[in-house]
Amino acid sequence: MTEININIEDLAVSTPNIVLKTISFKGQLDETNVDEKAKLIYALFEKDPKNLYLLFNFSDLEYMNSKSIGYLTDWYGKVSEGGGKIVIASARPNILDILEVVGLTQLINCYPSIDEAKLALLPEDSANAAPAA
Amino acid sequence: MGINNNETTTSSINTDSINIAGSKKEKVIEICITMPTQAYFLSGIRDFTLNLIKNMTEFSEQWAYRFQSIIDELCNNAIEHGSKEGEIIKIIFQNSPKEYIQIMVDDSGTGPDHLKASEITKLIEERKNQKVVNHLIRGRGLPKIVAEWTDELEFSDNPDGGLRVRVKKNLNDPKMKEKIGNNLENPNHIVLN
Repeated sequence: MTEININIEDLAVSTPNIVLKTISFKGQLDETNVDEKAKLIYALFEKDPKNLYLLFNFSDLEYMNSKSIGYLTDWYGKVSEGGGKIVIASARPNILDILEVVGLTQLINCYPSIDEAKLALLPEDSANAAPAA
Repeated sequence: MGINNNETTTSSINTDSINIAGSKKEKVIEICITMPTQAYFLSGIRDFTLNLIKNMTEFSEQWAYRFQSIIDELCNNAIEHGSKEGEIIKIIFQNSPKEYIQIMVDDSGTGPDHLKASEITKLIEERKNQKVVNHLIRGRGLPKIVAEWTDELEFSDNPDGGLRVRVKKNLNDPKMKEKIGNNLENPNHIVLN
């Protein structure tokens, strides 16, 4: 299995009823690992189906295949249905390139830094978004 | 893995070559890889492709990464649909210096839902022309990534029953000019401008 580490971190927010998480990817998403790792993200929806705000940190994501983009599209749909939002931060040029060619950047906004992504995700909470205790 | 240096002249390069009178074209370098039908090996193939394009061609780094995606999608398609476990798939890289990169992936035709060239051509065309955004997990690799990032995408049936997928990317991305033989009459030959 190609190596990929996914770290999920809760961020404290002052806005009530909002669940904010950063999901950091390190490694490569491909056919050997994407199905298994996708379950981690789907588990988030099961726990918090409503008002889930996700920041995908792609700064250490080296490669993603078309199936992982498919999952990303599905997550976007689920998050949107629940009144939440997804943003992508710090994607490498090759990752941005893939996201653009399949049209995903028309659905999910990509930001060059995590701070900008947080600001876009929850503008009113950007100053207060800190790791949950 | 085998490496062949096939000396070719202008007249023997297929179809869309530009005639350079009085000059000897550089050799087309061919590298062949056979691998088992297992996705486990794809990360190695991706790394090989990335470094091959970066170090052996004049394509930019952006294109080296794009070829990484292209080869991954082509091989994954062969593994998933074209060759059953225990069989092999074959990857052929052809580099015509200063001209083009061509990649061919052959499967054995023993895969569980193996398609003929005409069937997959039709499927790809439908997906490329889809007006509705694809919300499915699958179905983006060939029609989106491979089709968008190559100048030619062709499916053909191998005599042994397998499928060959051929892609070609021109270094200078010229518009398709007159051809020797008419590939456009071949319904399995998708030419992308």
